[in-house]
Amino acid sequence: MIPFGYTRPADEAAALQAGSTTGVAFIAGGTGMVDLMRLGVEAPGTLVDLNAMPWTKIEMTSDGGLSVGALVKNTDLAWHPAVRERYRVLSEALLAGASPQLRNMATVGGNLLQRTRCAYFRDVGVSACNKRTPGSGCAALDGGFVRMHAVLGGSEHCIALHPSDMCVALVALDAVVHVRGPRGDRSVPVGDFHVAPGAHPEVESVLARGELVTGVSLPPAPFAARSAYVKVRDRASYAFALASAAAGLHLEGQVIRDARVALGGVATKPWRSNEAEQLLRGQPMSRAVFERAAAAAMKDARTRPGNEFKVPLAQRVLVRALERAGGIA
Amino acid sequence: MPATFAGQTVILAFFEACGWLHASEEEYRALRAELRGLGAILVIVSHDGLWSFRPDDDLERCVPRDDLDLAQLDALRERYRVRAGVPSFFIIDGQSILRGSRQLPADAPPSIAMLVSALSAAGRAVVTPARDFSVSRREVVLSSLLAVFAMALVNACGGTREAAPPRVSSAPGGASGTELDVTLNINGQTRQLRLEPRVSLLDALRERCGLTGTKKGCDHGQCGACTVLIDGRRVHACLTLAVMARGKITTIEGLARGEQLHPMQAAFVECDGLQCGYCTPGQIMSAVGLLREGHAKTDDEVREEMSGNICRCGAYSNIVSAIQLARGKGVPA
Repeated sequence: MIPFGYTRPADEAAALQAGSTTGVAFIAGGTGMVDLMRLGVEAPGTLVDLNAMPWTKIEMTSDGGLSVGALVKNTDLAWHPAVRERYRVLSEALLAGASPQLRNMATVGGNLLQRTRCAYFRDVGVSACNKRTPGSGCAALDGGFVRMHAVLGGSEHCIALHPSDMCVALVALDAVVHVRGPRGDRSVPVGDFHVAPGAHPEVESVLARGELVTGVSLPPAPFAARSAYVKVRDRASYAFALASAAAGLHLEGQVIRDARVALGGVATKPWRSNEAEQLLRGQPMSRAVFERAAAAAMKDARTRPGNEFKVPLAQRVLVRALERAGGIA
Repeated sequence: MPATFAGQTVILAFFEACGWLHASEEEYRALRAELRGLGAILVIVSHDGLWSFRPDDDLERCVPRDDLDLAQLDALRERYRVRAGVPSFFIIDGQSILRGSRQLPADAPPSIAMLVSALSAAGRAVVTPARDFSVSRREVVLSSLLAVFAMALVNACGGTREAAPPRVSSAPGGASGTELDVTLNINGQTRQLRLEPRVSLLDALRERCGLTGTKKGCDHGQCGACTVLIDGRRVHACLTLAVMARGKITTIEGLARGEQLHPMQAAFVECDGLQCGYCTPGQIMSAVGLLREGHAKTDDEVREEMSGNICRCGAYSNIVSAIQLARGKGVPA
């Protein structure tokens, strides 16, 4: 790891000030940043430690939703009683991610900004990567470790998967990301927070330089109570998703009044499927309905030789998630 | 006495009598070679006086017997548990960290050859920690005191006192590579270190505090060998920058109460929850954290909640048994 400076600002003003210079990176839990610095993917001149910031609480909001500070650890969010009861999909997604040790360290803010696990992104000094070194090319397009490449939302410059489980659940829950920057505060729906690679894979979110994620809010939602997260991996636990799905259903009897569907492990960003949701609305719950929705969710998939399996796998994972959300599995 | 002490390894030896050091040239050559290998100077505390020996200089008595404060020497011996008649030495590295201690056999008169062979073993142990060269927590705590003592001794030897290297600023935004003052609470002991920000908690524990029970496996948060508890929660020491570590750190060395194993350690022994043992400290720390969290009850839940700890030997089934045994006994968190 190359040498770097370190500072731990005591308040938000100092953090924003520290973050306004070039060559600076923020650090919270460190599970992503330290790993990437050791690989040489990240090489900040100065690390700004955010752990003195006051964004550590999980609180009920006046509208019946939940407000979650950016520094809340994944473990604490996953096991919080309100999350377990009312936002089940989020708890399940968090607990399907990483290991207990990592969940004890990783924060909500950091997880929102988690970098891809694409083998070529991490292969410093060998593989071309537009995300790591803009304009250098994309080794992933030539094949190789295709199991972990995106089949949705890619471009001719990048097909790196977004690795987060938590973000898939947040997208399904209509969460809102709260951002504080030199020019003030703003709130961004999490569905608009991440951006697909397009011509600029190095840009992964709408966060501007020097802006900080201070927290996330979860609105009260009728589909959150009946929700589920299903994840399939190469081993039983502690692996990134080959395909995952977050589903939430608002039911009237057996009829789907509203639905939320998001996919992980298959796309360049946490992937909300409006097409699938549209097909579900107004339909009675049945496996056939769920399968039609799942087919719609994956219809734009562009596979590569060796990862065609991700399409049927993601469809089955989504069907399973919908069945679990609806209580029929 | 040559000038520099700062940054140099010192072998601080407590020997009753120094007369035996008048040995043959050949024996001295062997001693010089060991000191060169360690990059160290030898400082001998004895009732006969205070002696220093550098590889490129002759043995010299720096402080004669008459000027020694024998009462102070005895007090020091007692403090460091140096038993009368048992020659022993401490190795203090250039960072003022105690890297080890060793006793020479007390039943035979000490000889240069004995010292050379002990230094040779100690040198190997510093590079690759050996079972018979463990540094106890007590010794680690004493290291800074010893270092201060050694510094005072060397300075008292009439050496030209060199100014300490300038203490670089630890102000926020310190330049790249700047060392910072880091205070760590490890197993109930407070440790003051000066570390670059890039030093992981794992490296600080192993390389700077002599606590080598915590293992380095992948160094990327994927294997769990480096698992320690911070404020009771299991984390990866390899992904924790030491400069960022806050709270009470517990390592595998901090579990036992004296000679009495922690119940989780005892359960691993009873259930044979290991083969080669390399992942075991991490497994045990993780298991202690698991019980404290209280989410895992069934075997399947234990497996899921232990997924962050990899065992190449495949001792998993016995690890699960050990955890269930400890859980059944109501192991204190």
